[in-house]
Amino acid sequence: MNAAIEAAGLSKRFGGAFGLGVPKTALEAVDLTVPRGAAFGLIGLNGAGKTTFIKAMLAVLRPTAGRIRVLGGDPEDPAIRAQIGYLPERLYLPPSWNARQVLASTARLRRLPASGIDAEIDRQLVRVGLAPEDWKRKVGGFSKGMRQRLGLAGALLGSPQLLVLDEPTDGVDPLGRGEIRQVLAEEKARGATLFLNSHLLSETERVCDRIGILHGGRVLVQGPVEALATRDDRWIVRLEPDVERGGAPATEGLDPIGENRFAVSGDAQQMNLVLDRARVAGAIITHLERDTKDLEQLLREAVSKR
Amino acid sequence: MTPVLAIAMDLWREAASRRWFLVLGFGLTAFLLAMASSLEIEVVDGALAATRLFGDAVFGTDIRAADVALRPVFLAAAYVIFYGGLVFGVLSTADFAPSLLSPGRIEHLLSMPIARWQIVGGTFFGVVGIALLGALYASGGFTLILGVKTGVWTGRLVVASLLAVLCFASVYGGMLSAAMFARSAAVSGMVGLGLIVAGVVAGNRLTLAPAFEAGASRAIFEAITAVLPPLSTVADLAAGLAGTQDVDPSTLVRRLAGVLVFGAALGMIGVWRFETRDF
Repeated sequence: MNAAIEAAGLSKRFGGAFGLGVPKTALEAVDLTVPRGAAFGLIGLNGAGKTTFIKAMLAVLRPTAGRIRVLGGDPEDPAIRAQIGYLPERLYLPPSWNARQVLASTARLRRLPASGIDAEIDRQLVRVGLAPEDWKRKVGGFSKGMRQRLGLAGALLGSPQLLVLDEPTDGVDPLGRGEIRQVLAEEKARGATLFLNSHLLSETERVCDRIGILHGGRVLVQGPVEALATRDDRWIVRLEPDVERGGAPATEGLDPIGENRFAVSGDAQQMNLVLDRARVAGAIITHLERDTKDLEQLLREAVSKR
Repeated sequence: MTPVLAIAMDLWREAASRRWFLVLGFGLTAFLLAMASSLEIEVVDGALAATRLFGDAVFGTDIRAADVALRPVFLAAAYVIFYGGLVFGVLSTADFAPSLLSPGRIEHLLSMPIARWQIVGGTFFGVVGIALLGALYASGGFTLILGVKTGVWTGRLVVASLLAVLCFASVYGGMLSAAMFARSAAVSGMVGLGLIVAGVVAGNRLTLAPAFEAGASRAIFEAITAVLPPLSTVADLAAGLAGTQDVDPSTLVRRLAGVLVFGAALGMIGVWRFETRDF
């Protein structure tokens, strides 16, 4: 079994029982696969069903139809959930506890072995960048960023196979985000599967190698970021010293987008024809790549097609 | 460590930081210290010769056997611990279950490798454990003070307080269940207080029944109160036990069993609701 998460026909409807209230469909026949070891980002607009999907993954709510398997098993099985580290979007931390007490409680509930747990707690607190002088402070006085770091440390305890992180960098300062990205990169390198839900598309783009776009409870797009974001019909080329000296024929087909940077539309053959003309006119190609879309563009396109 | 115990331990740590419980702890300690320092009892050859509290005579001047003279004291203490404990317990623990179900917290708990019933069980036993600690501290401390001062050593008040804890457990089963349907400390507290009142009514149902007109209304009253936990009856039996009165063991066991079955039934409804609910 290579899939860390596998949803098939997953649906969830709320309300409407006994004819009361208006039924709301949060998930509609969702088919989604996340391979083991992937860093997957689930993106979508507010109310798209992202948090509902995460809750279904953790058996916090039960699907109305379809099924979901996590790490090859049913998430209702505590043995499966034992391999999952979870950072909820709205993290609750008992305000009178200190950071170490919070993590000790999480470790007990995760049923981690008592031996060596103190060292593991210290290790994760260091990893997420919480200063040792804050470890015995009451978390009620923590900033949003510190609370997020502590929540992440809790999710990392015991090196789980799957990390489910709902808005992990929410409230974290830019430098802190970089530190968290580093931790997530280490986790991925360890072999853990990452499942991220974040409104910060740039963060998702930096961390994730696969994405899924959820809209209106349906998965519109899913796959490797590179494959989804790369455009087959548009190229970016850097020409030096100055292609404009080549005259009008040489710039035909070149769309200036910056200093010495041009976009070329068309397939590979058309791109070669355009570049040949530019080279004949005296231009030197110093850089060539496929044009890519960022996640915001991908999201906008996916949602607008719907 | 079992998940139930882990949940209960977290609840105890949280309770220790709450003002309610700090006030209870300080209040009980202050009361026991005041009793210990200001209660002057003279016992001669096992007879109570004189008792003064804050310098004033109590119990008059009749000389009686110390254990006989102290019976009304233990009886009154048992009632205070029973009803005071129930009401304080309801008010101070009403928001534990709703707090457990708060957004962010419940998702985190449910994502842990523990069964749902264990979360409910841990909360239940955590709260009952707090009640047990408070009851033992109050009754044990009071018994210790009177024992040292009079030489009368009896564990009856402690046993009476344990009966109060069992009744509180039954009431809390209903409160926990109510929280599973409506995440509200107010609702949970009202259900707890309502069950105490209902328990007093149920314990006096035969006395109260004639107040209803013979026929349907009385039959309905009797039918409803028949299934309610007879808390006041258990309170009377517990106080009687503490005051060295004759208590029929089979009556006590039957009444107590009724109270516990009622609480268990309500608790099971709560567990069922928690098991089937989405969060």
